[in-house]
Amino acid sequence: MKTGIKFGTLLLAATLLFLGPAISMADHHEEVSNPDVKCLKCHSKNLKKKLEDGETMSLRIQVDEFGTSVHQVIGCTGCHRDVAKGKHPSKQPIASRRAYSLKHNQTCSQCHEAAHDSYKGSVHASMVEHGDAEAPVCSDCHSAHAIQTRTSYEPVNGEPCSTCHSDINDAFAQSVHGLARTEGNQLRGEHVNAPSCAGCHNAHDISAVTDTEYLVPKCMSCHEVAELAHEQWLPNAGMHLKSVGCAACHSPQAELRVDLQLFDRLKQAPVRQNENNGTVQETLAAIDTNGDGLDPVELWKLVRQINEQDETIDVTLLGRLEVTNSVDAHRLAASTEAVRSCESCHRGNAEPFQNVTVSMSRKDGRKESFKADSRVLNSAMSVDSVGGFYAPGGTRIKVLDGLLILALLGGLAVPVVHITLGKILRKKTGTDNK
Amino acid sequence: MTTPNATQGSPGQTHERVYLHAMPVRIWHWANALGFLVLILTGFQIRYVDLFSLMSFETAVHLHNWVGFAVIANWFLWFFYYISSDKVTNYHPDFDAPNFFKRYFDQAQYYSQGIFKGDKKPHDVHPHDKFNPMQKLTYQFVMFITAPITFLTGLMMWDVARFSGLINAVGGIRVVNTVHVIMFILFVFFMFLHAYMGVLGPKPSSHYKEMFTGWEEPHE
Repeated sequence: MKTGIKFGTLLLAATLLFLGPAISMADHHEEVSNPDVKCLKCHSKNLKKKLEDGETMSLRIQVDEFGTSVHQVIGCTGCHRDVAKGKHPSKQPIASRRAYSLKHNQTCSQCHEAAHDSYKGSVHASMVEHGDAEAPVCSDCHSAHAIQTRTSYEPVNGEPCSTCHSDINDAFAQSVHGLARTEGNQLRGEHVNAPSCAGCHNAHDISAVTDTEYLVPKCMSCHEVAELAHEQWLPNAGMHLKSVGCAACHSPQAELRVDLQLFDRLKQAPVRQNENNGTVQETLAAIDTNGDGLDPVELWKLVRQINEQDETIDVTLLGRLEVTNSVDAHRLAASTEAVRSCESCHRGNAEPFQNVTVSMSRKDGRKESFKADSRVLNSAMSVDSVGGFYAPGGTRIKVLDGLLILALLGGLAVPVVHITLGKILRKKTGTDNK
Repeated sequence: MTTPNATQGSPGQTHERVYLHAMPVRIWHWANALGFLVLILTGFQIRYVDLFSLMSFETAVHLHNWVGFAVIANWFLWFFYYISSDKVTNYHPDFDAPNFFKRYFDQAQYYSQGIFKGDKKPHDVHPHDKFNPMQKLTYQFVMFITAPITFLTGLMMWDVARFSGLINAVGGIRVVNTVHVIMFILFVFFMFLHAYMGVLGPKPSSHYKEMFTGWEEPHE
């Protein structure tokens, strides 16, 4: 009897020990399918794997997160197809956590081909391609096992973008867009949704924000009447909308700069870095021999050198007034607070023109910038090289100021000299009118 | 109104008066003068908003644009008036270069010496040949080169996006602006010179009066 009780107790204990986790999971997460229960039998525990780079990777799955993810319907083997009955990759070495994420980045494309194709052209994918260890792969934004529906990314908390771009997200939260999302759209009516991150930058085909042809149309896609509204009061509205970034005026506290981008007049497109022109830094550093930023003569040489090297292009520098940093670009204010004073740019030595960069687009659209001397905007040497940027008053050419002074002095001198000459001659010849 | 034979002069005068400037030319001239002054003033304001503030930059630009269009329209009135008139001869080039430049230097010598000694003017005005060689060359340059270049570059800068193709073809907006400003500088100098030359008539007010009445003022 005593033995029987003991045996029965042991059997119950053993049963609870083996089935306990499964019963517990079934209790809390009925959505988890039976085959997955088998996986979770081990992977709900604190399993770890030693990686080849010396680090340790947790193999534990948060059961409740997976149970509520949209992927619970496809189960573990939906993604982990290398796992089957009698086949488990536990012995296979994993180089690093990053290598494992990169490997499974391809797994997502098996079902999400369109999204993955979009991602492949994005600035994020380009960073991955260039070996940036911080560049996001699918699981960095969507997580590995707690994958949620698309609508879960809508709230203003900025997830998942804020994971990497927290400072930008903080600025956005206080912007006219961010406040419209949290406090209601006071300006355009509640029925108009202010954009979240993906509203401007897209979800997967995220372009480099410095790609100038990308963002303005994005703004215009919601602010349909913006062009017309600017034309009502702003002289040369079309030119301003093309060569002044929206945030340059609509983020009134932002620090500004002029970015002079190498632009091909024949193709009417920015010059992108390619095999022939090497890295931007190398190309520009070779010109800026003293390393203090490109001066007007160096800039003129740069443009001449590029045009001489390649007969199929006709390069000039196209200027664009933009905010200096991406945080300011997201600190957009209501239109009533936007900079409206023309004098802020069109006066001599205006602040935005003291900060000048020269840039070239990389293949993925991101720009690499190089410091330039602000004199490049006021020099006669820049008439050809900086052919694509001029702000009357603000970037006036100093030599012409000198010519104008000469014209004024000359205009005054002619009568003075002529009258004096007359007096001398009359005195000399005795024909002075009495 | 005045008729062409009025150039025969009025009886009883010691010097035959000539009807030099027809009404359309006088209207054009003063409208142009006013336009040029406003354009120069607003041009200064646009370029030097940090140095003086007669008006806001925005107002200066709008005024510059509107007056610019008025001056362009005025130029066309002047152009069509002259090409449809027998007085277009005033602007005809003189292909006898040696003779023209001899007369040019005679005129220069008159302005630098003769005028002070009471010499006779080397050029007799006539409604169909009212400009002396120095005036002729200057006005040909101003009306057929400087003004059209200023108008064209001004038009391009009025709407850079609209004329971007043309701007691109001539080397970019900085080239266009530089040319426009050089023309502006020439006009500033011209205005000083023109205003001063206007006082070099028989009396300091003579040429100014002529531009109001149309009649050449009597010589003393």
